[in-house]
Amino acid sequence: MNNNALNKMKKLLAGVTAAMFMLTAAACGNNDSSNSGNNAGGSASSSAAGGDSTASGEDDSLQKVLDSGKFVLGLDASFKPMGYTDENDEIVGFDIDCAEEVCKRMGVTLETKGINWDTKEDTLDAGTIDCIWNGMSIDEKREERMNLSEPYMENSMVFVVPADSTAAAMADLADKTVAVQNGSTAQTLLEESEIGDSCKISPLATNVEALQQMDLGLVDAVYLDSVVAEYEIAEAGKDWKIFTDGSESEKYAIGFRKGDQALRDKVQEILSEMKADGTLAKISEKWFGKDVTIVK
Amino acid sequence: MTGDEIWGVVKILLKYLLPTLKVFGFTLLYSVPLGMIVALLKMCRFKPIKWLTSLYILIMRGTPLMLQVIVAYFAVPMLKRSEGMPQLVQSLLDTVDIQADSYLFNTVLVAFVLNYAAYFAEIFRGGIESIPKGQYEAAAALGFSKRQTFFRIILPQVVKRVVPASSNEVITLVKDTSLANVVAYAEITMKAKQQMQNYSSLTPLFIAGLFYFVLATVLTVIFSFIEKKLDYYK
Repeated sequence: MNNNALNKMKKLLAGVTAAMFMLTAAACGNNDSSNSGNNAGGSASSSAAGGDSTASGEDDSLQKVLDSGKFVLGLDASFKPMGYTDENDEIVGFDIDCAEEVCKRMGVTLETKGINWDTKEDTLDAGTIDCIWNGMSIDEKREERMNLSEPYMENSMVFVVPADSTAAAMADLADKTVAVQNGSTAQTLLEESEIGDSCKISPLATNVEALQQMDLGLVDAVYLDSVVAEYEIAEAGKDWKIFTDGSESEKYAIGFRKGDQALRDKVQEILSEMKADGTLAKISEKWFGKDVTIVK
Repeated sequence: MTGDEIWGVVKILLKYLLPTLKVFGFTLLYSVPLGMIVALLKMCRFKPIKWLTSLYILIMRGTPLMLQVIVAYFAVPMLKRSEGMPQLVQSLLDTVDIQADSYLFNTVLVAFVLNYAAYFAEIFRGGIESIPKGQYEAAAALGFSKRQTFFRIILPQVVKRVVPASSNEVITLVKDTSLANVVAYAEITMKAKQQMQNYSSLTPLFIAGLFYFVLATVLTVIFSFIEKKLDYYK
């Protein structure tokens, strides 16, 4: 009996929602058309070049960036001092200054886009960004999934403990809790280190949380980038000590899509230019007080 | 953190209150009507439709919203890259500009609407089924048409009954908007996390918590007002 009423209700509601969806579609359509000016050319050339690439092995990644006039840099904007959000909600950092200069020399504008660090490779593959440039350490898995630039800076993973800690060397941390940033190379290195099996590893979302937990006594030590640790001790005057042993050196690189060789090479070439004319050293001095770059 | 620094964080978070409210508002706007439709489909006598609807609700309620947001975000780019799509699907995919700023918001919205519609559907179904059959019969005996019965007699009672359960969902939704930060949608939680890194302090997170608390308090007041207004027979 009431089914008929329900049926009518269904029709009515279906009509209302259909209308709503059409409105949204129209709204989205508008958005698309406003962008289509830039994109029509881009997508047309990309499909054409896509056809070529299989034939002649050329890629249009550089041309696409030049055509669109913007280079989209993906970062999680929370890695101080490489690329982070400052107190004015602006994205700044050593990497950002370098990228700005690279873009200036390429004749395009730099656009920064926030990404989730856990899904960075997928975001890069998805095509919403052109590169990942956020103090990213080189490791095998990343080399497999991305087309990495030459290393531009050296970093090491170090143990940090509170100044009053009784631990003084890596061996003292057996049976202790060590915090690392989840998904970082520090985590992998620590797991593979000689105390990896004996200590309790606590993977936390960010280095800040890890250091905060250490200050509160929840964990005994933190294994993290020396860049961060030294910056915190120098800038925030934290009362921590860094172990001299147990550090693993590694290098930072910029990540591009596997196929985007032309774009990678261009950025690499400009970085080398910047190293040669001293621009890179100047940026490095601004952030680290000395030239820490290793670009050739 | 000093008072000035806290005030600075508050100002930044205030700026991102709008993106948070945008997810909240549009999710409500679409998921409530969609939930009503899903509720009616689930009560459909044609079994396959009922089964399909149940499956949809099972998936939406059975997987984390965080994961659904990630799936919604990566679905289009991944389909775009895969070969051998039917022409129709391919041309549909081509109309989506994944570089546009609206793309991120739209995918977040799709995940939230589909998820919340499933919860609302079950609340609404419970409300509709709680009305005794005798009322339909009485209405028919008094000469009400089926449409009149539903809109004049059933629906007003359903609305009264689903308000408390819905207020639960709505307040949860305000806090769930923070899940959008898994695809780096810039809203309060993401900005608080970034400021947390900037100041090397947890305080920005607590400030963000205060924002959600205030929003939830406002909603609680609104809902108790609505409940009072709807309480016209007591």
